[in-house]
Amino acid sequence: MLKVLFKESLFFAWQSLVANKLRSFLSLLGITIGIFAIILVFTIVDGLENNIRGSIQSLGNNVVYIQKWPWDFGPDYPWWKYMNRPVPQYYELDDLQKRCKSVDALAYRIGKRKTIKYKSNSIQNAVVAGISHDFYKIKNFDLSSGRYFTQNETDAGYHLALIGANIASGLFPNEDPIGKEVKIGGYKAVVIGVIKKEGESLLGNSFDYQIVTPFNFARYFLDPKSENSDPIIYAKAKPNVTNAEMMSELTGVLRGIRKLKPMGEPNFALNETSLISKGFDGLFDIIGTAGWIIGGFSILVGGFGIANIMFVSVRERTNLIGIQKSLGAKNFFILVQFLGESVMLSTIGGFFGLLITYLITLLGKDAIDMDISLTSTNIILGFTISILIGIISGFIPAYSAAQLDPVEAIRSN
Amino acid sequence: MTRPKIITFICIIGYLSVVFTFPQVFSPQIKKLGVLMPAIYGILVAANFIACVGLWYFKQWGVQLYLISVFAKTLFYLLVDQVGFGFYFNIAISVIFMFILLRFYPKMDPNL
Repeated sequence: MLKVLFKESLFFAWQSLVANKLRSFLSLLGITIGIFAIILVFTIVDGLENNIRGSIQSLGNNVVYIQKWPWDFGPDYPWWKYMNRPVPQYYELDDLQKRCKSVDALAYRIGKRKTIKYKSNSIQNAVVAGISHDFYKIKNFDLSSGRYFTQNETDAGYHLALIGANIASGLFPNEDPIGKEVKIGGYKAVVIGVIKKEGESLLGNSFDYQIVTPFNFARYFLDPKSENSDPIIYAKAKPNVTNAEMMSELTGVLRGIRKLKPMGEPNFALNETSLISKGFDGLFDIIGTAGWIIGGFSILVGGFGIANIMFVSVRERTNLIGIQKSLGAKNFFILVQFLGESVMLSTIGGFFGLLITYLITLLGKDAIDMDISLTSTNIILGFTISILIGIISGFIPAYSAAQLDPVEAIRSN
Repeated sequence: MTRPKIITFICIIGYLSVVFTFPQVFSPQIKKLGVLMPAIYGILVAANFIACVGLWYFKQWGVQLYLISVFAKTLFYLLVDQVGFGFYFNIAISVIFMFILLRFYPKMDPNL
């Protein structure tokens, strides 16, 4: 019985929506814009967050970066304390390797933007990195073709290179890059591998625009003592060792290597990826809250629009309500009929809002080469908000319609 | 019987609280709690609003729904561990409102 009642009420509601197409369209437009605004912001924030978290993950959760400058995002960054510090040196890597027990792998890297040439093709501002052999144990990257350096090749500084996917497609549009010679800073290097495409990274650490060479070759055109080469020593903890334990050992060993006084300030920074995560958490909270406020008020305005149109609808159909009630329609039937109409309106509006968001994410994906997609969580959220706004904005008009006296209702014009 | 002023006051407070709590349904804080949490919280907000409409029309089902929604909301906050000053303040206000509503309950219309 209740099922039939619902079905019939919703049929009446649908008939009314179809009968007033323009009015229905205009009233659902508010909800469409509101849902579009809020879900688009959530989708973008989720996409950016996933991208940054992915980038941070690729940096390694159990990896510590030994650098000159600490990663600190606070407003009172005391840069003057750090500017006279020395940069990490390659020889320190050997000493650390010999003395540290908690470290699984250590690697050294220098890097700078350079122009890469192959015949008449060239790529400007490609990141040229010089690495020690164990770099592959710390950084996650796959090769789409070719191979990694051997221990002998990195130690002896062979003129070899691994190139990122975008460098490969830029320099070798119609050729296989493996075995070809590229020019880096005037030095020739043979390409022995192509790194699999990673896509854009907001942290700028994607291998797509990088060219990786052995450190002993890179030192010909990059100065490891210069800060411009951004020298870093990476340390990866052993499986059962925490970052804190490893950092404690690294601090002691590095102080020994640099001959620092026991109570003196350290002249190096041990950075963890969690520091970046913390820095971005605050940013995402701000963006999310801003989107929430903007979208929230759009939805509220859309809800007022639907409430307004439902009042008009009740007023217009007062006569019909009277006839329905005089023929035996219960209050509940009238209530469900009008409530169904407003929920239908807002759900259709929400659907279009989600559809527009989906189309924009498709366009955006191609435009910015980043994985921004409408997640099931956001779809559920979009429909939830639509249904709720339909219930909230339609309940008062529907209830007032249900409360009408049949005689008075029939008499009304 | 006409609606007493105190019930009108409770309804206005209720409507205003719905206007301000509705955006919380899709707030990042609620979203972080789980996929279905915005929906659950939204149902509670909608129930609170419908209860206020019932109270506005001086209906007994309004009081019943108000009691259920307050109880469910309290349970929700406890389950998601969102207990702070606002939580205790809300409970205090709701308890006062409940006493007032129950006082008028026998005089209210029992029909839909």
